[in-house]
Amino acid sequence: MIWIAIRMLTGDRQKFYGLLFGIAFSTLLITQQLTIFVNLIERGASGVYNVSSADVWVMDPVSRTTDVAYAMPSTALDKVRGVKGVEWAVPHLRANASVRTKDGDLEGVAVIGVDDATLIGLPKSMVEGSTDVLSQPDAVIIDDVGTTRMFPGESPIGERLELNDQRAVVRGIADAIPSFTSTVVLYTKYSQALRYVPGTRNRLSFVLVGAADGVEAKSLSDSIEEQTGLKAQTRDEFARDGVQFIIENTGIPLNFGITVLLGFIVGVAIVGLTFSLFIRDNIKQFGALKAIGVTNGKIARMVAAQAAMVGLIGYGLGVLGTVGFIYGFSNNPTFKGFYIPWQIPLISFAAMVLIIALTGWIALRGVMKTEPAAVFR
Amino acid sequence: MSKSNTAQPAICTRGVTRDFPAGQDTITVLHGIDLDVKAGELTYLVGESGSGKTTLISIMCGILWPTEGEVQVFGTDIYHLSDTELVNFRLENIGFIFQQYNLIPAIDAASNAAVPLIAQGMPRHEARERSIEMFDKLNILDQADKLPNQLSGGQQQRVAIARALVHEPRLVVCDEPTAALDASSGRRVMDLLRDVAVAEDRACIIVTHDNRIFDLADRILVLEDGRITHDGTQMPEDH
Amino acid sequence: MALLPKNISFSRQVLPVIALLGLVFAVFFIWNGLPDRELSEPDQEPPRATGELAYENRVAGAGVVEPSSEVIQLGTALSGLVTDLRVQPGDFVEKGEPLFTVDTRAIRSQLAQANSAIGEARAAIAEAQAAQSTASRQLALYRNVDDPAAVSRAEVIRAEGDVSAANGRLQLARARLQAAQATAQTARTEIGRATVRAPIAGQILAVNIRPGEFLSTMGGGGAPFIEMGETRPLHVRIDIDEEQASRVDLGASAIISPRGAANSQVKASFIRAEPLVVPKRSLTNSASERVDVRVLQVIYQLPEGDSRFRVGQQVDAFIPAAKTADSE
Repeated sequence: MIWIAIRMLTGDRQKFYGLLFGIAFSTLLITQQLTIFVNLIERGASGVYNVSSADVWVMDPVSRTTDVAYAMPSTALDKVRGVKGVEWAVPHLRANASVRTKDGDLEGVAVIGVDDATLIGLPKSMVEGSTDVLSQPDAVIIDDVGTTRMFPGESPIGERLELNDQRAVVRGIADAIPSFTSTVVLYTKYSQALRYVPGTRNRLSFVLVGAADGVEAKSLSDSIEEQTGLKAQTRDEFARDGVQFIIENTGIPLNFGITVLLGFIVGVAIVGLTFSLFIRDNIKQFGALKAIGVTNGKIARMVAAQAAMVGLIGYGLGVLGTVGFIYGFSNNPTFKGFYIPWQIPLISFAAMVLIIALTGWIALRGVMKTEPAAVFR
Repeated sequence: MSKSNTAQPAICTRGVTRDFPAGQDTITVLHGIDLDVKAGELTYLVGESGSGKTTLISIMCGILWPTEGEVQVFGTDIYHLSDTELVNFRLENIGFIFQQYNLIPAIDAASNAAVPLIAQGMPRHEARERSIEMFDKLNILDQADKLPNQLSGGQQQRVAIARALVHEPRLVVCDEPTAALDASSGRRVMDLLRDVAVAEDRACIIVTHDNRIFDLADRILVLEDGRITHDGTQMPEDH
Repeated sequence: MALLPKNISFSRQVLPVIALLGLVFAVFFIWNGLPDRELSEPDQEPPRATGELAYENRVAGAGVVEPSSEVIQLGTALSGLVTDLRVQPGDFVEKGEPLFTVDTRAIRSQLAQANSAIGEARAAIAEAQAAQSTASRQLALYRNVDDPAAVSRAEVIRAEGDVSAANGRLQLARARLQAAQATAQTARTEIGRATVRAPIAGQILAVNIRPGEFLSTMGGGGAPFIEMGETRPLHVRIDIDEEQASRVDLGASAIISPRGAANSQVKASFIRAEPLVVPKRSLTNSASERVDVRVLQVIYQLPEGDSRFRVGQQVDAFIPAAKTADSE
């Protein structure tokens, strides 16, 4: 009987493709918009995720994100090092500066000072050059998206910049996820960064901490907070803080929420209408089947099979479309580092199941209510 | 029930009454029908529109509950079965030929005819082979692979007949089989029905008001205003 | 659908396959596309507490290596050009060993002058003595003449006057000799001061002067002329945040590692804690010293003969926390 149901479904080309389009479009809209939404707000956490080796971030109690940070006295580093369970702790400086390009333009950049000795705080991998270049005098490493903004179409290696009246030479390109504002990022040694950033009394933005083997990051951050009076966040917590900051300070969640809701509504509308029309067209056949002796359960299974087939194909095409979209734009710096969190296809799948179940149930009700006796009228 | 027990009527209705709600009131369509239909006969149920013949036939083949009364089909009190048992009883024992055929447009003729077998759970290919055998009997073997909308009215009628007979039901119910056909095609269909549908242990009820084919009946029942007014081998003179 | 073989349906077979393949591809793509957020171990060893301190309460601090005598910045007592430089950075010197000399020519000429003044004074003494003896003898002669008419009273008085004049000249000449000798002594002392000698036995750490340079007693250009100190053994001076100071287990050994070579750690024994809590000097890379943090300075002695530590080098230190300080 399922076979007959599938034939009935695909026999009506217009409605079949209408249903597919509805489901696929709705899936595409929900999946793609959610993906962009998640990736956009996760830009708030890129600063955290770019540092691959720190378990815990220690900061002034008023600091909120990697970009909204209040500097600490330099002894904070030693305070943190004195906490039990801290395997290592290194200084980390993040500040904004203005850079003068060789054209004379002024460009706002983020200067990130990493620990001189260990270079902890640099992104994991480099696009060009190696991290050792920082040992050269006045060396800075630029991030890859910043390259496209500051040096469109040319190699930045060897370019000279002027930062706070100091010379800086770009010696490498780091492979980093851009920040929410896509600010150009210059990585340099901590001691160098102090020269590049106009002087204020306290300069130490963060202390990056590695937990000793067998020490839980969460319990370590608690004991750091207790012992030093500073604010300590685990990597995940701090990433969440960054995301939270974006959510609280921009209209992004509302906008994307509306789009996703629209996608859902469009899906329900198109699919619901088309499916109802399809069932109504076939109501006589269903009535005949009921008279012949097909139980309501089997009829329900037939309708479910039709809905499932439309749903699965439409969903597959929709997800494929999203993947194609992300893949197609993966080389665009705006979409650098964009990925599809595995939860999102599941969410859109749930949404599809909801749409299908809703419309299928409405359609099925019509079939169920059909009296088999109607076939004689 | 054994097949040799021919004395027992195929269908036996006792005091079948059916009311339909109509706003505040109820309209009584059938008034205590007592009727026996024998197997091996071609039984006509004749009546004007609104006489209640559609209601009666629906009740007799187990798709409409009577308000009062009992219906036995081959000894089974069908309205004391559970819903699912009743549906399965129809599937096993009754073949339907609908006035508008109600073929499924998306599957070919042979598959359409195989639907009852498929619904019974027979594998699709086996069911289709059985229905093609039936097509052979009905002389439409060459139409087996066509879709319903590629067939003429008469051919669709034959496919519908094939569907009604393919699972060898003991009761065949046929609603206005000749209404859409011209006189000669109508007679041919009726001849065919006599040939293939009427069997020793099978009852065949035809609902019609087509006077061109009254002469082919073994028994004619006339229904007027919910009561049986005539029961004989010929139509009464006043019709 | 004419492109397809007759028994293959686009909607029933091709589309589901496309959708299924699409889903498989999507799963693959999503799986591979998930961002790498694994924590990684740092490439280079960061300073870390090891051994029994790794999981113990401890206090961390940063500090610098210094000689056990602390750094002695040598100056000069005399201004002048450097004429002789005896040492190079790294030399070990004994106490009193000459290090450098400033120009002594002016002083030497003063000495010569004084010496000639001594000669002159001596000659004057001799001459005065001769005059005195002459005058004495003449007076004695006059006194011995009994005939008062032979020698006039005036003669005698003149002779007495001569004797006392000669005595005065002799005293003057003696005084001049003493003065000249004193001048000579002063010049000699100055010559000694022109040579700067090692105040203690130790190592020359820095030499900021070169022969021919002019040295001023006021100190020149900021840099000390020569820096030295006892580098056997070396000490480290560790700054501990005053808030943490109460936690330090004073007396316990510290684990010290040089900056940038965190895995070469040594154990340093406690010497003393400075009684004065001072404003933090920038040792952890901060640009200026305008930091409102005060630090307790604790001195530790490094094991002798470790060539990895040099004076002035920054170190990271981990010190055990006092058992009572932590409530745990």
